[in-house]
Amino acid sequence: MFELTLDGYAHSNELRNLNPYFKVLFAIITMIVSLISTSPIVPLFIFLFFTFLILFEAKIPIKFYLKFLLVPFTFAFITFVFMAIFFGYGQYVYDLGFLNLGVSADGFNRAALVFARIMGGFACLAFLALTTPMTELFAILEAIKIPKIVVELTMLMYRYIFLFLDEAINMYHSQETRNGYSTMKKSYKSMGMLVSNLFIKTWLKGEQTFIAMESRCYDGSIKTMNDFGSVKTIGIKKFSLLILFEVVLCAAVYLSAGFHIL
Amino acid sequence: MHIAEGFLPWQWCLFWYIVALPVIAYGIIQIKRVTDEHPESKPLLAVSGAFIFILSSLKLPSVTGSCSHPTGTGLGAVLFGPAAVSVLAAIVLVFQALLLAHGGITTLGANDFSMGIVGPFAAWLIWKGARKIGWSSSLAIFIAAVMGDWLTYVTTAVQLSLAFPIPTFEAAFVKFIAIYAYTQVPLAIAEGILTVVVFEYIMKLRPDILVKLGVIKSEDPEIVKARTEAV
Repeated sequence: MFELTLDGYAHSNELRNLNPYFKVLFAIITMIVSLISTSPIVPLFIFLFFTFLILFEAKIPIKFYLKFLLVPFTFAFITFVFMAIFFGYGQYVYDLGFLNLGVSADGFNRAALVFARIMGGFACLAFLALTTPMTELFAILEAIKIPKIVVELTMLMYRYIFLFLDEAINMYHSQETRNGYSTMKKSYKSMGMLVSNLFIKTWLKGEQTFIAMESRCYDGSIKTMNDFGSVKTIGIKKFSLLILFEVVLCAAVYLSAGFHIL
Repeated sequence: MHIAEGFLPWQWCLFWYIVALPVIAYGIIQIKRVTDEHPESKPLLAVSGAFIFILSSLKLPSVTGSCSHPTGTGLGAVLFGPAAVSVLAAIVLVFQALLLAHGGITTLGANDFSMGIVGPFAAWLIWKGARKIGWSSSLAIFIAAVMGDWLTYVTTAVQLSLAFPIPTFEAAFVKFIAIYAYTQVPLAIAEGILTVVVFEYIMKLRPDILVKLGVIKSEDPEIVKARTEAV
């Protein structure tokens, strides 16, 4: 029910010390290239390439990676079936045999494209999430001039998510051991108690945090250390590799534009 | 509810970003003004955001037997106001994408528009309206939570059918709404019931918080009743 060990990998993988700006640029630009592609080839290649990077360069255990991908994959698969059947023009190449439903070439191609784009996009997202710690992402948010108040809220929220998750898990387990979720009615009552208690506790924590911060000279802004490098420290070599990679991908997008599976 | 990374064509990703950004910017200005006047509200807003995240990672038993998670938009909007929720929801959506692989970065604009803007604003308006015509807080928050959820789904269905108008926008809309009707309508009712239970507990245990947040006026008969019961 509650799984968030992802953060641990972000801090301990083999690509941890790579310049975070490089990783973010790499993941986001590739994500956009995957999105603008009009054939499934480039997104699928991106998926395979990033999976390779995650498993063999960052050395994330394959079991954990597959677990991370399970949610998007299930969703992508359902989407694929749904779109292939309901979102196509023209003659059916495969008739399902009931309710006049079938798969047309047009629908199949569209479904394949969306499926590939989802998988390609999530591989980029997984790369970002599994190799770059949140704290470094916050520094980047600040560097690209996201309003300070938003960055501070994000940092505080990130901290509290884990604290409250702990608390929620404890409450959930103790309710469960007391048969709190044995019937539907009890489930609602227990869940309601859990959420409202959590809300009251979060409120108290918020007040206490402010007192604690104020007693430590809080003047309305949170100061952090930013020594994660900058865009300039990426280095010419890595930067040109990045540009080359994306240009080749864009060329591939252009060349494969007319390709259809069916 | 969450539109996955890569699902929308890039034109629509861009479009929803452009639509959502002014509202988020307005929300940021609001938050900035509040936190400048009352510095103690900053940690409070942060824990509220974390609360919304936890809420959306809880699995909820539903009437149809399936399980899903509440969106928290209704409760969040009633407690903290829709402008603040639009910003908090955007941050929560980034965390959900990075930590749980729900939603995505390119579809952030579209998701924030449906779950952070339309849903909360509708829930908040319904809550205010229902309270004004004198409905009880439980009924008002139930309707607000359910309608907030439903309007979120309708918005998502509109977004999806605009992106895939096949064969026409209306036909695609009917298909998407049909799926949501089967899976999400019972879930919205389930979330409505849960929201009522939560709200009544808070009302019973710490009505002063609701007064301080401006959700309920201190001279409200329900608050007076809760207070006398507590004594």
